[in-house]
Amino acid sequence: MKKNWRSSALFAYALTILAFLYLPLLILTLYSFNNSRINAVWTGFTFEWYLALVHNRRVIEALTNSLIIATISTIISTILGTMAALALNRYKFKYKAVINGLLYLPILIPEIVMGLSLLVLFSQASVPLGKGTLILAHITFCLSFVIITVNARLEGMHKDLEQAASDLYATPWQTFRYITLPLALPGIVAGALIAFTLSIDDFIISFFVAGPNSTTLPLYVYAMVKRGISPEINALSTVLMFTTISLIVIAQVLQPQHSTAKKKTE
Amino acid sequence: MMKKRIAVVLMGIFAIAILAMGCGNGEKSQPAKSEPQVLNLFSWADNFSPEVLAAFEKKYNCKINYDVFANNEELLAKIQAGGSQYDLIQPSDYMVSTMIKLNLLEKIDKNKIPNRNNIVKTLKFPAYDPTGDYSVIYTWGMTGIVYNKKYVKETPTSWADLWNPAYKGRVILLNDNREVFGMALKKHGFSNNSIDKDQLDIAFADLKKLAPSVLAYDTDTIKQKFIAEEGWIGTMWSGDASFTYKDNKNIGFVIPKEGTVIWADTFAIPKGAKHKDLAEKFINFMYEPKISAQNYEYIGYNDPNEKAKAFHSKEFLSDPMLKVAVDDVKQGEWLKDIGSGLTLYDRYWTELKTIK
Repeated sequence: MKKNWRSSALFAYALTILAFLYLPLLILTLYSFNNSRINAVWTGFTFEWYLALVHNRRVIEALTNSLIIATISTIISTILGTMAALALNRYKFKYKAVINGLLYLPILIPEIVMGLSLLVLFSQASVPLGKGTLILAHITFCLSFVIITVNARLEGMHKDLEQAASDLYATPWQTFRYITLPLALPGIVAGALIAFTLSIDDFIISFFVAGPNSTTLPLYVYAMVKRGISPEINALSTVLMFTTISLIVIAQVLQPQHSTAKKKTE
Repeated sequence: MMKKRIAVVLMGIFAIAILAMGCGNGEKSQPAKSEPQVLNLFSWADNFSPEVLAAFEKKYNCKINYDVFANNEELLAKIQAGGSQYDLIQPSDYMVSTMIKLNLLEKIDKNKIPNRNNIVKTLKFPAYDPTGDYSVIYTWGMTGIVYNKKYVKETPTSWADLWNPAYKGRVILLNDNREVFGMALKKHGFSNNSIDKDQLDIAFADLKKLAPSVLAYDTDTIKQKFIAEEGWIGTMWSGDASFTYKDNKNIGFVIPKEGTVIWADTFAIPKGAKHKDLAEKFINFMYEPKISAQNYEYIGYNDPNEKAKAFHSKEFLSDPMLKVAVDDVKQGEWLKDIGSGLTLYDRYWTELKTIK
């Protein structure tokens, strides 16, 4: 009986925390369906703001920019990150720990410092700001996350399968292609999804290195807020939020599923 | 064997990287070959009618890259970091004078903008750019007293009306030290650019008396607070007041007799702009009477174009808030860059906001 009381109290506590986390997002979503131009009062249900978004050329341009930048930087950072993770995982070399640490550092460095330093670098090297600099910057910060995710997957893999392949006269390439890569794939895909999400969401670093014709969705949302918060922003934020959430969910689903499958085969 | 493979993979990545860089730089190499020209516009979000922009693109066979900033300081930082890539920017009044001082602006060729003559006389040579060489005014507004007629029965005429004890707890002031202190300085007949300590002390003492009546210092959601009738009286920009009025017809707006702050957004061309000619064409285009009428109806701010009156809707011309900014424009004083004088403002401002 006592236990029951405790667990329900704990449950209520957990719910409160969840409400604390999700209530603002819920309200934001709710008001994106509000019939009034102003977030002050609820006047009725409408899809008007979502329709307005679709017809807003600037929003579509910002979305296209975001997607182009995210896709390219995801592809490049995933390839580079996977190779780096493989090297770190498979080979022993001098200063490995140092290099390992250096690769993780960008995650810890405050974004504002990273954005500023990239801006300084680009303007010193007189690289014109624009989509190119945005992509380079996004690759820079996505890389560490890809390495961590892929590395975690590789850590969990035993070498025996690869050794077995070599025993059966597979060339190193065949071993990589048919054994290592398929096994590491869930980690790589998860890493890519995280990279994509980070790139789509990034505001601070993009804020510094954006140039002509490279306004991304978050930059656009920020600039719109200064004109007064209209439900159109709510609608745009809702779309952005749900895209991000679904990507993260996919990344999560991909990770554990395969590790349990692996345990079964072991 | 392995090494070769790695080399192949590396080459592939290199190719992708080069392709990626190409995407960013592609536009720049193209215009040389009679491709449509590009106008790199850097402005506030949602600051133009989309139809007007499309009309310009069609007329001059060009593409407008419309990028956005959220405040003047952000604009300044971007221009200083290598802004020559933008062809047309929209700094506010004080930022124009700062940018002129920093030598960041290109002189505008007045001969290429004949429609400049359509601008009302009072705003052609404003204090922030007295010769009108570097900027053309886009829109302007003034800070005034906003009030709800339901609760404020007597039409306010003076800043002193904010101090009326009947409105205790219902006063909302802009969340900006220059605006708040400027208002209090004006109340006592001083300049809103004053850096005289005695004058500021008087203003500060007065504001301290007002502080207990203040519901909030708010700029971003002040409109909502007046629409929902949380606030009865306060300070607001004329453009915001017009917006608020559309959702709550009890809202009134006056420019107090003592004078107030006036602000403006402008067109300017940054140093080294690559498509200066097109930028000037754009400015000229925006002041064609019909075009400017269409544009300002959309954005809902004051139209400085005198010739556009004939094309504006009755609703626009009779908007009480926009009208006030036209009629009382002489009451306005531009805020200047007061340099180190701002330190005292900041100190008093911090102190003021802790009073409740």
